[in-house]
Amino acid sequence: MTRALLRTLAILAALAFTLVPILWMISMAFKPFAEWQASGADLTWWPKAPTLDNFRYLFGLGTNELISMLDRTAMKPILSSLLSASVGTLIAMTCGTAAAYGLSRFGSGQNLPLALIQLRLFPPMAVMIPVMMMWAFLGLMDTWFGLALVYGIVTLPFAFWLMKTFFDDMPREIEEAALVEGCTRWRVFTRVTLPMMAAPLAAAALFVFILNWSDYLIALLLTTREWVTIPVYMASLSSSMTGQLYGAKAALGLIAAVPPVVLGVLIQKHLVRGLTFGALKQ
Amino acid sequence: MTLGFRLTLPAQVLVLFISLFPLLMQLYISLTDWSPLAGTPWPRAWEFWNTFANYTDIPGDTRLWAALGRTALVMAVCVPVEFLLGLGLGLLFVDDFPGKRLAYSLLIMPMMVVPAVAGYMFFMLFQSGGPVNDILSWFSPTPVTIAWLSDPTLALVAVMAADIWQWTPLMFLILLAGLVGVPQDQLRAATLLGASPWQRFRTIVLPRMKVIITIALAIRAIEAFKIFDTLFIMTGGGPGVATETISVYFYKITTQDLVWGYVAALALFILVALSIAAVWAMKRMAK
Repeated sequence: MTRALLRTLAILAALAFTLVPILWMISMAFKPFAEWQASGADLTWWPKAPTLDNFRYLFGLGTNELISMLDRTAMKPILSSLLSASVGTLIAMTCGTAAAYGLSRFGSGQNLPLALIQLRLFPPMAVMIPVMMMWAFLGLMDTWFGLALVYGIVTLPFAFWLMKTFFDDMPREIEEAALVEGCTRWRVFTRVTLPMMAAPLAAAALFVFILNWSDYLIALLLTTREWVTIPVYMASLSSSMTGQLYGAKAALGLIAAVPPVVLGVLIQKHLVRGLTFGALKQ
Repeated sequence: MTLGFRLTLPAQVLVLFISLFPLLMQLYISLTDWSPLAGTPWPRAWEFWNTFANYTDIPGDTRLWAALGRTALVMAVCVPVEFLLGLGLGLLFVDDFPGKRLAYSLLIMPMMVVPAVAGYMFFMLFQSGGPVNDILSWFSPTPVTIAWLSDPTLALVAVMAADIWQWTPLMFLILLAGLVGVPQDQLRAATLLGASPWQRFRTIVLPRMKVIITIALAIRAIEAFKIFDTLFIMTGGGPGVATETISVYFYKITTQDLVWGYVAALALFILVALSIAAVWAMKRMAK
């Protein structure tokens, strides 16, 4: 009895530590301007006069008497994040799935597992100078597709390793049966294997998308104005008169948090596999 | 060309593209004093040739060694704390209890929060009139007004707290996956034989968890070494250089000092050092 009580208390404490920061952001997103800066005795944990003004402000739909309109709404950064993360996911998943199948079934590309782990090991900061030079040369700076290409390469290790463990786990009998029926190996891959693997493929793609969506550093270096992503854009949400626009930042942070949280719940049972490069299954 | 070769080709091209060209360019630039402000495009960086001067500058770069030391400190504090908290939570979740699934889903939420957003979140939390001080005030006779992010020591504490908040769930998730795999009948048998909880943990659970613990620690150590997003948004590496880790230092000399020749030399130095460390670690793990 006391053990169960102790466990409940410990879990409640962990939940409090986990949820208080998130709840603070949610509460801040719905606070009117007057309550943003309230501190000390005036600090309110829950908005006294909840409002959607912060969200309206982000999209240029309304303005506060104290802060001027944004010269750039949050629309384009959201689009930029969506485009670069989706196309980056497409690149990583296409190349990663094909390579994983090649290695799993034909033993090609024996160097890839280690090379891709190395790619993950090194801090991205240490290769960004040549990437910036190349991107400037190729005209890819401050474009969503330039960003998407880097995302595709950075998350390729996850796509490859995840799909490799899925292919390794898959029973071969059905593929072999199709081969006996006279299918070419390519047809077997596209018509038999891939449809069978639809669910794992989707899980891996969502996982890779979350990783791309979460990036900050690469976008900070490779986008400057036109195609800044949500996290980079957030830094510009401050005004010379009133300082940090806490409410607007929290509102945008909430918008940015929605896709990974929703997708994360969807692929919960694959998370361990994804985060450990397929080394562990749940 | 076999099908296997064709299937792996796109990935090979991408890997080569991101490793070969950057490495060669980096090597070339690292032997010069070239900077984007030099007024000449980088292919003509040889005009600023300085042989190995960039490399010989590395040992005397005190800011670099301080940043490396700080990164090591962050790793030495955050990774064990996250491990112990994650393991403790994992042990609580082995048995069933009402509300387990909900508690599990809520507890792993921090790792889904975009790290940059977590940075802004913790920036707000640690303001002198913010909620952290408000909570501390409940336990103190006078209102607490600590300026967390402008104090060199406390700023480091704050960024480590953010890291622990965000990544303990990862440890929890991985370790729990290992813990539920420990055979229950062995544990029950040991209990019947009178083994204490600690004995059961040490002799049955730990040996089975060795690989998983190694993986969990390795993944977190690598990511902690690269720590940037949350920290940079909370403090920008400051006050002064108080929270400047290796990635922040790289970012600053790349975008502010613009000494790209030196950055390239430093990057190659770090890449080589990390490779050696990785090979050494893998050999030790193999033993």
